[in-house]
Amino acid sequence: MKRTQFSLGFIVRRSMVHRRVRSLAALLALTVSAAVATTLLTLYVSLNRQLHQQFRAFGANIVLTAPDGSTLPSETLATVRAIAGSESRIVPFAYAVAQTADGAPIVVAGTDFNAARAMDSWWQVSRWPNAAAATPGSPVAAMVGTRAQGFLHGDDFPLTYNGHTLALHTEATLRTGAAEDSRIFIPLAAFTAWTGQSASTLEIQAPGSAAQVEDLLHRLRAALPGVQVHAVRQLVESEGRIVDRTRSLMLSSLVLIALTVGICVLATLTASVLERRRDFAIMKALGSTQHQVALLFLLEAALLALAGAAAGYLLGSLCAFGIGAWNFHATIPPLWQAAPAVLLLNLFVALLAAGLPMRILRTMEPATLLRGE
Amino acid sequence: MFFRLLLESLFRQRRRKLLAATAILLGTATVTAMLAIGTSVGDKLNHELSSYGANILVTPKADTLDVVVGGVSIRPATAGSYLRESDLTKLKGIFWRNNILNLSPELPLHATLTQAQPSQPATVPALGLWFHHTLHYGTESYAMGAPAMHRWWRLQGAWPADAALDQAAIGSKLAAQMHIAPGDSVALNGEPVRITGIVSSGDATDRTLLLPLALAQKITGQPDAVRRVEVQALTKPEDALARRNPDSLSPALHDRWYCSPYANSIAYQIQEALPNAQAEPIRRITQGEGTILQRISGLMWLVALAALLAASFAVAASMTTAILERKQEIGLMRAMGASQFSVASLFFAETALLSLLSGALGYLLGSLLAARVGWEIFHSTIAFNPVLLPAALGMALLVSIAGGAPSVLRTLGMQPAAVLREDG
Repeated sequence: MKRTQFSLGFIVRRSMVHRRVRSLAALLALTVSAAVATTLLTLYVSLNRQLHQQFRAFGANIVLTAPDGSTLPSETLATVRAIAGSESRIVPFAYAVAQTADGAPIVVAGTDFNAARAMDSWWQVSRWPNAAAATPGSPVAAMVGTRAQGFLHGDDFPLTYNGHTLALHTEATLRTGAAEDSRIFIPLAAFTAWTGQSASTLEIQAPGSAAQVEDLLHRLRAALPGVQVHAVRQLVESEGRIVDRTRSLMLSSLVLIALTVGICVLATLTASVLERRRDFAIMKALGSTQHQVALLFLLEAALLALAGAAAGYLLGSLCAFGIGAWNFHATIPPLWQAAPAVLLLNLFVALLAAGLPMRILRTMEPATLLRGE
Repeated sequence: MFFRLLLESLFRQRRRKLLAATAILLGTATVTAMLAIGTSVGDKLNHELSSYGANILVTPKADTLDVVVGGVSIRPATAGSYLRESDLTKLKGIFWRNNILNLSPELPLHATLTQAQPSQPATVPALGLWFHHTLHYGTESYAMGAPAMHRWWRLQGAWPADAALDQAAIGSKLAAQMHIAPGDSVALNGEPVRITGIVSSGDATDRTLLLPLALAQKITGQPDAVRRVEVQALTKPEDALARRNPDSLSPALHDRWYCSPYANSIAYQIQEALPNAQAEPIRRITQGEGTILQRISGLMWLVALAALLAASFAVAASMTTAILERKQEIGLMRAMGASQFSVASLFFAETALLSLLSGALGYLLGSLLAARVGWEIFHSTIAFNPVLLPAALGMALLVSIAGGAPSVLRTLGMQPAAVLREDG
């Protein structure tokens, strides 16, 4: 028989088309394994970032304060912004104790409303005042804490600080359940014009892990001697622990799922190769060498693995993207590094599945195999 | 006859069934474990989140305005009204009492601190607290106090005893400033007090003297008084219903609102239990906790869903192959005169039996796995969830029959002779 009539490619193609159901089952299994691996890898790699992003809901994790009674130098905000980077949020606060018309003391805070709104998402504000819309001469737009409101008479009220009286108008009410409820917030510019004091506190929300926050803390301390910089330990410690535990949970899930799917795929492929012992025997009986038959089987497996990896990578990236969009409201881009990893994984599983039965079959005589079990 | 065939078929040729059984076992184990983790992760996380401390603050209602800047109260300590310490047991009598994990009453004051060796007396801020207080309610007792509320506090030395009127702990910055070490004796308003420990907190507490509540009440001359109470409760993330004003709800909705552990409804119940008290959720903590809880449990649910899908496909592919292996059997039965219906029912019954057996085993294995994972990560085990058993069995049954059906039906459609002649 002239072997050239049946090229390797021809045999592989015929073999796969001829056993459509079996090839499809194997392809499905390999696609699922690749998709699962891609999804979990992509998710796991971006998990740290996504999780830390969620902890931004707790607000500032670093607080920078001027020594007792003094204010921060005017260039501090710019310095901190340069050190902390554009991903950090920074809100300045200035505090003064003013008198109401009754002479009761009340804490007035000057701040940047837009910055506070971006950072302190838990502030329940009836309507954020627009600091830019303020017209000179009219009362200053104030955001009044719900507790402080009970100590003022009406929406328009004067406050006195150091002999200077300022007319204010309640533009919005604020509820946080904490100290802010007893305070009145006004734009920082109006605060400085009134009291002559600038910001004494900067609240900084730095992204990233505890180590990154710690690093930023050191750099801020080095750049700003004489200023107290401390981490909000309550937040930083808990965050680290919860992120770590979630990562371990994801990692265990990842290993569990990957193992299950891997074993199922391996078993499926092994069975479908083992089942073809009669093909194997016939080919050998017709004079193929061990080598040629092995090559045929491995080539088939590799082709299926390649197709499965390609389809699985696309499917898995899509799945990770969907989870990111749905759960984290963030974009989880496809991880190109996952492609070679998934391909290698699939090839490994497929070749192992094809190779294992080959070792068993090799030792058997074709005649024994053809006669039956 | 059918059952004999079924049993014979099930226990013969075990190697061929091993593939299907293993696939189903692993598939159900994974799905059970992931669902068990998915359903309990919210609960576990909620306990983890308690490390953020208090999420509800209780203050006297008819209060003067707090004048606090940077954690330091500027107003004189005597002003304002108080809550009663003896009333706090009532908080363990509210509807959501089991969700209240910790209470920490506080009584701030200013005291004069003098060291043993002659030195300048200094007026320092002090705070009366529970350290390891035992709260009795009915026949039960609960350990409560500030150290468990503020888990980020670091202690060098020991906490003062709650009943001791001659012990105190001191904030680290204040201790450094006054050169006080644990074990030192100082005079507080003239009375001798032993410093048992130094506390580092990273906030205003570092400059504060921490006293047993009883001692603080004795110094201020206000027995039974507390200025505010920090409450730590397990809460449910805020949703649309939680944001509604309870007074504007219909009776049915109001009951649902009241009986959901929202921070708002727990605060509402605290206000009902304590006359003259105002309870407010600390929104920074409740909102943050809600976000984390929703995102992480959402993530685990989605991963569980992905596991369910992946395991289903993997098991279905295995079943397809496992049945294909047995084409010859089908051909033989048909050749011997079995009807298509009886062959199909035999195969499906066998598949069903196999998937139920493996599925039950898989459920056990998965529950054990989940318990193990829970113990490793959260140091508390994930209990067996009986609701997952029907889910696991249903999944095993559905997937294995769906996976096997195409092969069985296709083979049944062929001529028995053609099937038999075809190599396996």
